[in-house]
Amino acid sequence: MHMADALISPLVGGTMWVATAGVAAYSIKKIQSEMDEKKIPLMGVMGAFIFASQMINFTIPATGSSGHIGGGLLLAILLGPYAGFLTIASVLTIQALFFADGGLLALGSNVFNMGFFSCFIAYPLIYKGFMGRGYTTKRIFFASILAAIIGLQMGAFGVVLETLFSGKTELPFGTFVLLMQPIHLAIGAVEGLVTAAVVTYIWNARPEILEGAASGRALSNVSIKKVAAGLIAITLITGVGLSWFASSNPDGLEWAMIKTAGTAELEAPDGLHQQLSDLQTKTAFLPDYSFKTPEDETELGAGEEEEAWPAISGGTSTSGIVGGGLTLALAVLVGVGISSLKRRKYGANS
Amino acid sequence: MANIMNSLYNMRLLDDLARQETVIHKLHPLMKLLTTVSYLTVVVSFGRYEIGGLLPLLLYPVIVFTLAELPVKPILLRILLVSPFIIGIGILNPFFDHQVYLLGGREISRGWITFLSILLKSGLTVTAALLLIATTGMDRLAGALRMLKIPRIFVLQLLLTYRYISVLMEEVARTLRAYSLRAPRQKGVHRSAWGSLAGQLILRTFDRAQRIYEAMCLRGFTGEYHTGGFKEIRVWDLSYFIGWVFFFAVARMYNIPMLIGSLITGVIR
Amino acid sequence: MSHHKLEVKDLHYSYPDGHKAVKGMSFCIHHGESVGIIGANGAGKSTLLMLLMGVLFPDQGEVCVGDVHVTKKTLPMIRQSLGMVFQDPDDQLFMNTVYDDVAFGPRNYKLDEKEVEKRVFNALELVGILHLKDRAPFKLSGGEKRAAAIASVLSMQPDILIMDEPTAALDPKSRRKVMQLLTSFKHTKVITSHDLDMIFEMCDRTIVIKNGEIAADGVTSEILVNAELMDDCGLEIPLSLQNCPVCGTEKV
Ligand SMILES: Nc1ncnc2c1ncn2[C@@H]1O[C@H](COP(=O)(O)OP(=O)(O)OP(=O)(O)O)[C@@H](O)[C@H]1O
Ligand SMILES: [Mg+2]
Repeated sequence: MHMADALISPLVGGTMWVATAGVAAYSIKKIQSEMDEKKIPLMGVMGAFIFASQMINFTIPATGSSGHIGGGLLLAILLGPYAGFLTIASVLTIQALFFADGGLLALGSNVFNMGFFSCFIAYPLIYKGFMGRGYTTKRIFFASILAAIIGLQMGAFGVVLETLFSGKTELPFGTFVLLMQPIHLAIGAVEGLVTAAVVTYIWNARPEILEGAASGRALSNVSIKKVAAGLIAITLITGVGLSWFASSNPDGLEWAMIKTAGTAELEAPDGLHQQLSDLQTKTAFLPDYSFKTPEDETELGAGEEEEAWPAISGGTSTSGIVGGGLTLALAVLVGVGISSLKRRKYGANS
Repeated sequence: MANIMNSLYNMRLLDDLARQETVIHKLHPLMKLLTTVSYLTVVVSFGRYEIGGLLPLLLYPVIVFTLAELPVKPILLRILLVSPFIIGIGILNPFFDHQVYLLGGREISRGWITFLSILLKSGLTVTAALLLIATTGMDRLAGALRMLKIPRIFVLQLLLTYRYISVLMEEVARTLRAYSLRAPRQKGVHRSAWGSLAGQLILRTFDRAQRIYEAMCLRGFTGEYHTGGFKEIRVWDLSYFIGWVFFFAVARMYNIPMLIGSLITGVIR
Repeated sequence: MSHHKLEVKDLHYSYPDGHKAVKGMSFCIHHGESVGIIGANGAGKSTLLMLLMGVLFPDQGEVCVGDVHVTKKTLPMIRQSLGMVFQDPDDQLFMNTVYDDVAFGPRNYKLDEKEVEKRVFNALELVGILHLKDRAPFKLSGGEKRAAAIASVLSMQPDILIMDEPTAALDPKSRRKVMQLLTSFKHTKVITSHDLDMIFEMCDRTIVIKNGEIAADGVTSEILVNAELMDDCGLEIPLSLQNCPVCGTEKV
């Protein structure tokens, strides 16, 4: 359920980046103040383990299928929420870079969806709530399953909201929710079962590991409230700030969301002459655009963030196709040109 | 499992590629990172019906690809394995948006346009991320992150994760091999072994982390991570960045294919 | 040069679970000596090395390097003069290039980057893997990894080298190479190993450990041929000293 660059808008991506960076900075501060530099190699190697553990297929009883784990909750339990969150962040960073899972712009959203909810909501509120009276096999079982399911449900809902706010798809909210949440109910159940089995094993073999993660870390209700409040504030401020910037500044980030400038303007019928005069207007600083609302706009449904659909006449669509083809050809030509130049240079050298 | 082992080889391939010495490889990592981020932002900022305007942005990957002398096939293969999530979500668009639109005398559902637009964006963004890592490498990228004042703890931890992925993958693969040799005809790990198999791997991972921590302490580690000096940003690095950003901005503001197209059809007319 | 002396007085150590791993060891290693530490699995060799390095602290007794006691306070100083090569080089090579790894120690001691570079090149040249400096550790063979691990310690310019099984899991040629490398160092050396032939070739002095206690301490050529002692400590006379199984030539 990685959120992808192609589905996210700069506004949503940027806001989630800021939120994630805030949580990460807070976590780093926490770890530093605990003076627990022992945890750094542990976080690094456990991150690598989470990667490697994707190889393990756990057979799901009575279904014949198998699944693997995401590991968010497990990391929170074994390392504590702060170290767990940072570990997930670095795992997702490497996935975005090397495996093109997600993407760099969507990284903030992904870390938030998969890390924040399991480490800072599901772990402290649900898992720790159950374990408050000490570990038993039964409690580990229920706590893990409940925490995993709730963490994943929230993460999935995060994906839905981020996708919708980004406005790159046509999926109606209801359909999307109905699609995502049940799937993640199943995924969460598997995650919870495996986490429970692993935690039980570790609790029997080396209980001090679980105690170590739970102590040395003051996760009182106050601090979690503070984190949540700070986070909401940061998110709101950046969200509102960025939207304001985008709507007041036509050259801003969200230029496209409001107006599909180029195409709308080019639709003017006078051909070349008009094009050139447009070019002139555009080179001027902040030209005063006036956009014609396309006729079929009303049919688009009521969403305010709905962008204008350029009413394209036969003429413009032809030039669009011709131009597109030429651009592609040009790109290929550049590529071929550079590599043949290089080859010639090597040929001359050798 | 084979699949994951493949990604391990892929990672090593990218690592190898990053050790080449071309014009692009020699550029300052920070400038490459910033260029990539600007590129991604511009690509993603295009509206959902946009296809034509995105085409000029193809020029960036094409040029970097050729200048960096990267092999096209393995990287292209990775890009084609677009996240199923994107296709899954995108393919639904045609079902929800039946608005028809005429293109060259043919009717096309607008849903297909959005789908195509998503696919194109996905291709471009994925390529840009892979190009960044294939021309920079993890260690130099970590240096760039340090220059951006990303905290040491995070950078060090990121490097350690990257370093130990191959070690742990091999360890997990050995364990799974041992399991499957004694458990024929099982598709995955049976429920009864979930806890002990994964749990033991985790315990070993903890012990390894302890030994690594000791090895670090023996060489003077006190929680601080010291990189060597930073590479200097040359005028050339800066102009690379500025040049691309200028191009991206132009491509964003003007629909270049449309301009070219109208120019040509206009002339013909 | 009493500075390089390594002295252990009545050392005791128990693991947190109560297992007594070291029970009253005492010895003194002088400058330039190379000492082999042998013993069966679980005898307490690795534990002893950890105590020497100050990774673990003794329950009783003390470790002195030169005239300085190993305590939490003196650790940074001690660790500059002691270098330890781990049994598994993957634990020691934690950075992403050989260069960064060898530079890790010097950088932590805040040397300026020029000096760091000089030391890295020197260390890599010494172990003969300068050409591998930009390689990732996972791309190295076992022998190369071992060499890189040794270089990562040499770059700190220690006076005393401590090695846990430096030839384990190496093929005969790589083993020979590592041995030659180690013989060429003038450092004080402390080596634990099950490779008794290597100990026989490289160390003048041998300490035998049995169940956390010193069973023997003396000249290698006398200890390793003592069949009774060796058998008692779960060991065997090195192959190179045993009678030839093919022609039956007597060696001892
Ligand atoms: N972390 C630990 N906790 C408890 N006991 C331990 C621990 N590490 C080692 N021991 C015990 O201490 C004893 C000495 O262990 P040590 O690792 O020093 O042996 P060794 O001589 O290095 O053996 P080998 O030749 O197998 O490497 C063993 O009996 C072992 O079981
Ligand atoms: Mg040992």
